[in-house]
Amino acid sequence: MEVKHLIDIDPSGILVRYNVKMEKEMTPEEAAEELYPKDSMIYPIAKAIFEGEEDDVVEGLEKAISSGKDPISLIDDALMVGMGVVTKLYDEGVIFLPNVMMSADAMLEGIEYVKQKAGRAPVVKGKVVCHVAEGDVHDIGKNIVAALLRANGYEVVDLGRDVPVDEVIAAVERESPLMLTGTALMTTTMYAFKEVNDKLLEKGYRIPFACGGGAVNQDFVSQYELGVYGEEAADAPKIADFIKEHGDNIVKLREKFHKH
Amino acid sequence: MAVTRCTKMAYASADDMVFGKAVTPVKTGLELEIGAGYTTPEVNYAPRPEAGASKEKLIKEYERITTDIMARMVQIGAPAVVLETEHVQQMSNHPDWGAAVAHAQKTIMEDYHDEYGIKCALRHTIGDIRETRDFLALRGDKYSVFMEAFEQCAQNGADMLAVESMGGKEVFDYAILRNDMAGVLYGIGVLGSIDMEMIWQDIASVAKKNNVIASGDTDCAQANTAMFIAGGLLDKNLAHTLAIIARTISAARSLVAYEAGAVGPGKDCGYENTIVKSIAGVPIAQEGKTSTCAHSDLMGNIVMQCCDLWSNESVEYHGEFGGTTVQCWGETLAYDCALMNVALNSGNEKILRDMFVASDIYRDAQGYVLAYQNSYRVGQAIAKDGNDIYLRAKNAAIECINIVEEGAKGKLELSRFEAKALADAKEAFEALTDDKDQFMSDCLTKYKQEVKVFKPENYDL
Repeated sequence: MEVKHLIDIDPSGILVRYNVKMEKEMTPEEAAEELYPKDSMIYPIAKAIFEGEEDDVVEGLEKAISSGKDPISLIDDALMVGMGVVTKLYDEGVIFLPNVMMSADAMLEGIEYVKQKAGRAPVVKGKVVCHVAEGDVHDIGKNIVAALLRANGYEVVDLGRDVPVDEVIAAVERESPLMLTGTALMTTTMYAFKEVNDKLLEKGYRIPFACGGGAVNQDFVSQYELGVYGEEAADAPKIADFIKEHGDNIVKLREKFHKH
Repeated sequence: MAVTRCTKMAYASADDMVFGKAVTPVKTGLELEIGAGYTTPEVNYAPRPEAGASKEKLIKEYERITTDIMARMVQIGAPAVVLETEHVQQMSNHPDWGAAVAHAQKTIMEDYHDEYGIKCALRHTIGDIRETRDFLALRGDKYSVFMEAFEQCAQNGADMLAVESMGGKEVFDYAILRNDMAGVLYGIGVLGSIDMEMIWQDIASVAKKNNVIASGDTDCAQANTAMFIAGGLLDKNLAHTLAIIARTISAARSLVAYEAGAVGPGKDCGYENTIVKSIAGVPIAQEGKTSTCAHSDLMGNIVMQCCDLWSNESVEYHGEFGGTTVQCWGETLAYDCALMNVALNSGNEKILRDMFVASDIYRDAQGYVLAYQNSYRVGQAIAKDGNDIYLRAKNAAIECINIVEEGAKGKLELSRFEAKALADAKEAFEALTDDKDQFMSDCLTKYKQEVKVFKPENYDL
């Protein structure tokens, strides 16, 4: 029995459960089913990616390779297709982040498997360097960003947390990424972003520097020249895609991604 | 200090719980009493980004903050105030920095107390600095710096010591992003509790030695991470039904501070505090609508129901039209407390409490479970097996699921996603063993393999 409360109210007058009202008729599984590829070799791999079942992904890949498919081609033709279903449904609000994380784990396992089979590395969409600001050890946001970038086909150079400014600069010099990301939880640690920005400029790098996390806000990120504010972790792959398509003009990136 | 497990409820019934009153009030600071029949604003703040550049800059920043708050409280006639300084990492990594800030703040507070008689106290929340770049390092070299930070703050003006400890977070972070309920239970309920047992015996000893108050810990690093990821009604990052399960498990964890010698008040961001208060009887701080400067949640009013301190969580120090941010938010808190104190003085506190509850209880599963009647039930589930840190955390989760299921048969609406996540979680918890040793052994094997950064030696495992 529901516990009775002293003041019995009709909640409809004081709140609207927009999430319940807006819920789509279709279940996530039904929505995914409509998006899977029809090819009988590819379908089970894409489905296993959606379900986050690592063993099933590898089993599907084994079968496809035995039937003559090129291992590396299966990354784009099967694994990324399955992941595409996942990210589409996440963007549409049909599935939750944990589903994406589990699918990303399964996809990475699949990629490792085909790399072993092929004996060579696949071509990626681009490289992104990710880090947590110096002095800050809170890295769940960075981990989500890295997983979502990988899920969208980017190679992630993950520098970890509490990363010294000079180490960030060195990684940019070494890796030549298409963008850099930084996350921070606290106000006094996010100041390191400005130092990263200034040192990058000193050395002549004009690379987009996507920043977000806890206390980080658009006003702060806008203060330094390379800063692009990401309100959500899911913005990171969208910013990377935008750079690939439209170039790395910071002004245009801000026009697109700054919301306030 | 010894650990004494809580196996009984502090309150005979949920209805006995109300804001401003605790079974065991706490005297602290300059003539302040917490939980003794009145509520008090607790103002919390963060320095501006550039203030961390040097010790001198930081001290100056906190002097400004402290003066601003004390001045505004006097200007509006607030009878009492608590200041909470949550350490930025520089202050805990360099204990003399934290000590210098505490000293500077307390000097200003003493001046205001001497001149105007305003009751006040200073809480310092030490940062959990026990991490290396790659791993949690809960035991070892960093531990001595961590404890030194408590010691020096206690010696230099802090009236209350607190922390938001991180034990279990490495497993929790992995598990919560994968809907892994066993991992959430292991991270918060077991690993978090093991770590708290160690640190809180030592913090309580430091407090006793220096004649200050060991106040409490929150599961900010885990349960608030879940709440933050869950977000608003339309966010799709984590089912809110899972966030509240993490929260109820966190009550079994946060309770450990009091079992190891802390006396309260519990920290503001511990939304699990109503559950903890029901078991331990300690005063608690809470934050809700007044913490929108720091984050959004779905429990703005309901968490005022049993608070003894009313906080704004954290606001960056800068200017607003109405003054500096600490002045604006401090004033808002003080007016909320005035309303609660009028209710207490006029015998209307239970009516006001129930209005706070009624305004939010159906907003979301999180608020529903944290309503004091339901919190009390979770408290009973924890106390029932209070001697077993695993079982009591599991009990909390299962009782939480029962409460949400009952609510969903009434006026609490769940989306299909929330209901599905709840059903999956129920299945996961029901499949778990009742044997702590078995659970520990299974989890040790599983998470050592799956979570690269999990180091069992942090927990003496």
